[in-house]
Amino acid sequence: MATAAFAALLLLAMPPVTHSVLNRTEPWILGAPFLYVALLAAYVALIGVLIWAWRRRV
Amino acid sequence: MEAWEVATTLIIAYLGLTLLLGVLANRRLTVDVEDFMLYGRKAGFIVLYLTIVATFHSAFAFLGSGGFFYTHGIGFWAAGAWTVLAGAITYVLGTRIWALGKAFGYITPADLMADFYESEVVRVTVAVVSVVFTILYIQVQAQGLGYIITVATDGRVSFEVGTLLLLIVAAFYLIAGGLRAVYWTDVLQGVWMYAAVWIGALVLAYELFGGPLQLWQEVAAQRPDLLSLPGPNGFFTPGMWIGMVVTLSFGIILQPHMLIRYYTAVDAKTLKALGATTPIYLMTLYIPAAFVGLGGAVAMPDLDVPDRIFPELLFAHVSPWLTGAILAGAAAAAMSTLDSILHSNMTILTHDIYRRYVRPGASQAHYLRVGRVFVVVLLAVGYVVTVSTFDFLVVLITLSGSGALQLLPGLAGVCFPGRRTLTRTGVVAGIAAGLATLYVTLVVAPHPLGMHGAIWALLVNGATALLVSRFTAAPSAGTIERVHGELEAFVYGDPEPKPSGPPA
Repeated sequence: MATAAFAALLLLAMPPVTHSVLNRTEPWILGAPFLYVALLAAYVALIGVLIWAWRRRV
Repeated sequence: MEAWEVATTLIIAYLGLTLLLGVLANRRLTVDVEDFMLYGRKAGFIVLYLTIVATFHSAFAFLGSGGFFYTHGIGFWAAGAWTVLAGAITYVLGTRIWALGKAFGYITPADLMADFYESEVVRVTVAVVSVVFTILYIQVQAQGLGYIITVATDGRVSFEVGTLLLLIVAAFYLIAGGLRAVYWTDVLQGVWMYAAVWIGALVLAYELFGGPLQLWQEVAAQRPDLLSLPGPNGFFTPGMWIGMVVTLSFGIILQPHMLIRYYTAVDAKTLKALGATTPIYLMTLYIPAAFVGLGGAVAMPDLDVPDRIFPELLFAHVSPWLTGAILAGAAAAAMSTLDSILHSNMTILTHDIYRRYVRPGASQAHYLRVGRVFVVVLLAVGYVVTVSTFDFLVVLITLSGSGALQLLPGLAGVCFPGRRTLTRTGVVAGIAAGLATLYVTLVVAPHPLGMHGAIWALLVNGATALLVSRFTAAPSAGTIERVHGELEAFVYGDPEPKPSGPPA
């Protein structure tokens, strides 16, 4: 479960998603561009999966 | 006081602190190789956390990342992916390496691979690859240090003298206290560099633009080309993105100074906690780097050397005291990686080569003395390659970042039991084919078809290893059962393996 979630989220932060769906420059949260914020959200979610796995002693 | 006097005073104060820690570590040192080389396998969460993150982030993270954002734009935010992946590698691979190290008394990566593949050729190959592809990494760090000293003293201390001074300081505390001194100084360096990057970047963002929000607005208005992929120079293609994520996660983790850290953990729970939480530090360090690089591209365009954007902005817009403290943080970033490389290369040369082939069976004190001599030799080599310019060195440095990645197939064969086992001949052939391919895809015809050269090399390496292994002799059934049995017990059963002595 944790492995699948991590892999799926990582794919969201990799090409081709980064170079197509996420490749937008308009300002989003706190004025930061969409690509930057979307990737930050993906990275935070990935860390969340790692911490979740660790807390569940996977 | 003038700005350069303040900056120099703060860097000297920082160096004094690291020397003091080296002396304190020396008082705790015992005449024991494992204590000198592996911290006695007793490193706890906080010390190991800060040494892993400080070692992972080198002078490149402090100076080069700003330069990358400055030149190639937001594509460098791929850094978040490779730092998070590095945590996952620690969680999965690092804990397995720790378990085998604990069970069989491994000290170096070559120990682990030579034991499983029952081959001294594998040992020497891994040791040579480990040393060659990291010893020149010393040059990258030492050049960063020399540059920082030159900038901080406003040119009053030359690059050569600055480099030598900082190399001697790092070698001194390593010789005095072994890995304990490296770890203790890394704690200081890890905290200092993180605070320095964040404070420096935020002060600059408010000073130059009125805050991060306004910074983003100015970048969008003046340099929108920096905010999309593949960037203004077309650098961050999908192939380069994937290649950098793989190379700078697996490639850095597989360098000996990182792998040896796994052996030093006090237990597997500590390593899993590190795998889950170190990406918080590693990834968030690149948030302020984006402010520096992208904001710098607007505030200070047409810089000749983009890597200098951070110190150039500091000297132009920030008070001397803060600039000095931040430059000391830059020195910390370089020294924390440099001392770890010196230590790992010393350990490999002493344990894998000298102890094995030159003088086996000598006393612990003898190996400690030899290790300290190797540190001095490495310091001399590091200094020479730093202040000299040879064409072949430039080529080797280009290769160095991706060289350690070629250990991946062989290491995976040990740590992940499968139906078919790689053989010693297959592993050595794979490494040789991978390194040859690396030369072609990084030097002769860089990054064919837009894919990072290291990925091509890794693919050729893996395919060669698998193919050759089909026709050559596998390790003995007893060894496979012993090593993979230990791993299966660790993963599915007893999480704390009991030491069973070194391999035969």
